[in-house]
Amino acid sequence: MMRSMTLAITAAAAVGLASGVAAAEPIHVGHLAAYTGPTSAVGKVYGQGIEDAMAYINEQGGIDGRTLERHTVDYSYEAPRAIAAYKQWTSSYDPPVIQGWGTADTEALVRFVARDKIVYMSASYSGHLTDPTGKSEHTKSAAPYNFFYGPSYTDGCRAMVSWAKDDWESKGGEGKPKWVHMGDNHPYPNAPKAACTEYAKNQGFEVLNPIVYSLSPGDFKAQCLSLKESGADYAYLANTSGSNISLLKACDTVGTDVQFVSNVWGFDELAAPAAGKAGDGIVFPVGAAQWGADVPGMKTIEAISEMSGGGERALHYMRGVCSVYFMRDAMEMAAEDGEITGPNVKAALESMSDHVPEGMEGVCLPHTWTPENHRGTTQVMVYQNHWKGDGDFSLEKLTTVDLPRREDWLGW
Amino acid sequence: MALSADSMRCGEFRTSYRADTTIFPTPMSRNFAIAGVLVLVLAPLFLNAYYLNLLIQIGYYGIAALGLNILVGFSGQISLGHAAFFGFGAFASAWLNNTTGLPVILCIPLAGVMTTAVGMIVGVPAARIKGLYLAIATLAAQFILEDFFNRAAWFTGGSSGALADPMSLFGYTFSTDQSYFYLVLAFVVVMYLLGANLLRSRDGRAFVAVRDHYLSAEIMGINLTKYRILAFGVSSFYAGIGGALFAHYLGFVSAEGFTILLSIQFLGMIIIGGLGSVMGTLMGTAFMVLLPEVMDGTAGVVSQFFPGFSQGLAYLKEMAVGLAIVLFLIFEPDGLAHRWKLIKAYWKLYPFSY
Repeated sequence: MMRSMTLAITAAAAVGLASGVAAAEPIHVGHLAAYTGPTSAVGKVYGQGIEDAMAYINEQGGIDGRTLERHTVDYSYEAPRAIAAYKQWTSSYDPPVIQGWGTADTEALVRFVARDKIVYMSASYSGHLTDPTGKSEHTKSAAPYNFFYGPSYTDGCRAMVSWAKDDWESKGGEGKPKWVHMGDNHPYPNAPKAACTEYAKNQGFEVLNPIVYSLSPGDFKAQCLSLKESGADYAYLANTSGSNISLLKACDTVGTDVQFVSNVWGFDELAAPAAGKAGDGIVFPVGAAQWGADVPGMKTIEAISEMSGGGERALHYMRGVCSVYFMRDAMEMAAEDGEITGPNVKAALESMSDHVPEGMEGVCLPHTWTPENHRGTTQVMVYQNHWKGDGDFSLEKLTTVDLPRREDWLGW
Repeated sequence: MALSADSMRCGEFRTSYRADTTIFPTPMSRNFAIAGVLVLVLAPLFLNAYYLNLLIQIGYYGIAALGLNILVGFSGQISLGHAAFFGFGAFASAWLNNTTGLPVILCIPLAGVMTTAVGMIVGVPAARIKGLYLAIATLAAQFILEDFFNRAAWFTGGSSGALADPMSLFGYTFSTDQSYFYLVLAFVVVMYLLGANLLRSRDGRAFVAVRDHYLSAEIMGINLTKYRILAFGVSSFYAGIGGALFAHYLGFVSAEGFTILLSIQFLGMIIIGGLGSVMGTLMGTAFMVLLPEVMDGTAGVVSQFFPGFSQGLAYLKEMAVGLAIVLFLIFEPDGLAHRWKLIKAYWKLYPFSY
C-alpha cells in the first residue's frame, strides 16, 4: 500500500515536472548575422538590434510564458554558409521563425523555408520576396514564408526616383535628367535594378549603363571617372555603407558633379563622419524612426539598447528591433489561437493590417501583410545628410513618399 | 607452422609483381578497410546530424582532394585552381539536372565528365610549362572560372547561384543527412578504390615515372604531353564528382564558395595527409575538416575561464589552419600517412623497435 502510494506520488511528481518543463520549453529562433564579411558595417548594427530586442522580450517575461532562444550564426555574407546554418537549425531545433540577413542567401532559401514551413524574416528587402503566390510575371519562385520589415529595395529606389524628379524640377533642370544604377554584380545590389530602372524611365529619366563597384570597400576612382564621363545627374548607390563610403570619397577626389542617392543600407550615422565632406548631400531612404526622435516608442528603444550597454544606435538598429517586434506580436497571436508554429505565425502576420507593435509607436512603420501580398509597407521616409565640418553632421528628413500599391509591382 | 596469409608478417615476402601491386598492401589492411566501411555503415544509427554533416564533408572534400593528390602527389604537377573545378562540377550537375531533367544519380558522373573536359583544356599549358609557371597558369584558370560562374547566368544562375535538387532514386529522396551519408560513402568507396587501382595500372606508373624524372620517363617511351594532360583530366574528374556531391547535399550552389582559399585548403589537405598517398588524402581531409570544429570546442572550454576569448575565435580558426600546415611542413613533411606508418611499425616491432 505504502509502496504503491509512493509510486503514485513519484509518478505524479514526474508528470508535474514534465509538464512544467514542457511549459518552459523555449521558442527557438534562428538568427543569421553578418558580423564579418563585406556587409559587416551595417550587419553589426542590425544584428545587435535583433539580439537586444530578443533579450529585452525575454526580460519582460517572454512570449506566452516562454523565452526566446536565439541561435546566432555569423556567416560572413557567404550564401553556402547560410544554407549550412539553416540545415543545422532545422535538424537540431526546428525553429518556427528565422531572422535572416542577405539577399543572396534569403533568395536561395525561399524554396527551403516554403517546404519546411518556417517563417523567414529577412534583412533583405528584395522585391522578389513580396509575392507569396507566384502570380506575378516577375516572380521566379513564390515566397509564401518570406517577410521583411520596411519598404522593399525597389520601393526605396522608386522613392529616390520620385524625390529626384521633384528635385530636378525645383532646380529648374532642362531636358531629361540622367539616372545611373551603381552596385556590385551580386543579388543584393541587383535586386531593385530592373524594376527601378523601368520606373525611372517612366518618370522621364534617361537611364545610363550601370556601373559596377564591389561590395567590399576598395579604390573606386576608375568607377568615379566613368561616372564623371557619363554625365549622370543622379547616381543610385546599391551597395552597403562600407563600400559606399569608399566610393563617395573616391568621387570627391575625382571631382564628380552628381547627386548621390542610395539604398536603405547605403548610409547611416556611422557612415556620415567616415565619409565626411564627400557624403554631404547624399539622399537615402529610412525605414524606421531615427535615434532620439520625439516619439513614444523611443523609450522602449532606449531600454532595449541598455541590453548591450546602451547609448546611441544607428538607423539599422531600429529596423532590427522592429523585425523582432513584429515577430513577437505574430507569435503572441499564434499562441492565442493555438501553437507557435511556422504556419500559425505566417497566418498571424498575414492578418495584420496597419499594425504597429505595442511599445513601438512612432518607431516602426505600420505594416499590412495579406496572403496574396507581402509588400508590408509602401511608405518611404527620405532623409538627407548635411555635413557641417569637424565631425558634425545632421540627418534631415525631407519628405515621406507614399507609393501606390500596384498589383503589377508585386514580386520585383 | 606455415605462415598463413592472415598472420602478421615480419618482413616483405612478395615474390611476384602481382603480389607487389595489390590495392591493399596486406590482407590485414584490406580487412581493416572493409571493417572501417562496415563501421561507417552503422554510423548513422548512432551519430546525430552534426557529426554526420562532418563525415559528409570529409567525404566530398576527400574525393576532390584525392584528385588533387593524383595530380600533385603522383604526377608531380601543381594546381592552384582545384576549387574552380570543384565548383564547375557543382554547377554542371545542378545545370544538367535543372535543364535536362536527368536523374541526379546520372548527373553526378556526367558532371565529372564535363569537368574532366574543362580540366584537360586547362591542363594543356602543362605540356610545356612546369613548377611555378604552371602554378600561375592554373591560378589564371581559377580566376577565369570564378568570373565565368558569376557571369554565365544560363549555366550558373549568375551571381544569384543555382538550386540543386536533392537526389532521388526509385521514389526515395536523399534529403536527410542520414540518407545522404550513405550516398557519399558509396561514392567515396568507389572513387578511392578506383584511385588506388589507377596507381597500379600502366597509366598510374607512368604518372609516377613522369614525377620522378620526366627526362628518363620520356626516354623510356612515356608520352609526357599525354600523361601530363591526362593527370589534369583525372584530377578534374575527381573534383567534379566531389563538387556535384557537394551541390546536391547543400541544395544550392553559388560562386562565392569556390575561391582560391578553397584551392589552398585542398593543397593543405594533401600536404598534411601526405603527398602521393591515397589513404593519407583521406586522413588529411579529415584533419582539415575537423580542425576548426576542435578549435571551436577548445575555445568554448577556454572561454569559460577567459571570458572574451570567443571574440577572437574567428581569427584563431584561420590561424590554426595556417599554423598546422607550417608545423607539418617542418616536423612531418611526409604527412599523416607517414606518421601512421611509423605508428604501425612501432606496434609491429614492439618491444624490439630499435
